[in-house]
Amino acid sequence: MAKTILAVDDSASIRQMVAFTLKGAGYEVIQAVDGEDALEKANQHTVNLVLTDINMPRMDGLKLLALLRKLSNYKTVPILMLTTESSDDIKAKGRAAGATGWLVKPFDPKRLLEVIAKVIG
Amino acid sequence: MTEMQSNIDNQFTDEMNSENSDHALCNAEVDEYFMNIKSELGQVDRLISDAVNNLVINFHYISKLTKTHHEMVLVIEKMASPEASKPILELLDKQMNIADKIEQELEMAITSLQFGDLVTQLLAHTTHQVEMLNMELQRVDREDNWRNGKTALHTIHEGITKAVNIAKTKNNRKPVVQQGMQMGDVELF
Repeated sequence: MAKTILAVDDSASIRQMVAFTLKGAGYEVIQAVDGEDALEKANQHTVNLVLTDINMPRMDGLKLLALLRKLSNYKTVPILMLTTESSDDIKAKGRAAGATGWLVKPFDPKRLLEVIAKVIG
Repeated sequence: MTEMQSNIDNQFTDEMNSENSDHALCNAEVDEYFMNIKSELGQVDRLISDAVNNLVINFHYISKLTKTHHEMVLVIEKMASPEASKPILELLDKQMNIADKIEQELEMAITSLQFGDLVTQLLAHTTHQVEMLNMELQRVDREDNWRNGKTALHTIHEGITKAVNIAKTKNNRKPVVQQGMQMGDVELF
């Protein structure tokens, strides 16, 4: 059975590029436009990995990360941050909030798939 | 109140109104100037978003065609008998190579097509900077008394410098530091 990835980004083009890459590798992809949308979808579906942007309207990726980690079924689900942000302080915040890894945009499809495979097997 | 006093008061009031009107006009001009910059940044954002949307549609279409092409070449290869002429087999081999190369190029385009997101974030950041500077300059303009000639030039410069510095500190960190479209770093915690 295909593993399901929740891809969260307010940019439609990024969501499409992520979905294209992941679907091509056989993953099921659920898309969310921001943190609030992602939280709602995370509660509706069984997700094997969350891939989220940080700077988004309504609810940003760090807030989403913190809220997901409070949910019992998301305590161990890998959460990767996919963002333009790369400063050490924001990475430290993400790490402290429970992020599994940090990918700086623009992503390379092959590298993204390698990281995901490493994280969820 | 004498008639002369009344005339002086009226004249003073007129001057005050004129000054206030000039003051308001100046603020409006500054505001309009910054609004125009914001509007132009918005226009750039819309143009880029539109272009990116179109490129993504083109990308998906080319990707579908390439997949179909790849599948067709595989079917033709299977249909070709083992004793098929050498030129036909060579042609099929070349077709397969082309299909593979197009797929590789499409993969590379996935990285490049993310430029829209980076530019949109940078434009939002720049728009925010413009808003902050406008607000701070308007504040300096309201607070100072250089219009009545009491303020020295260096004080005006200090006021503007202060406004720029406040705008800088109120501004969020720059969300995009990438200078090119090379793949970003990856770190697993």
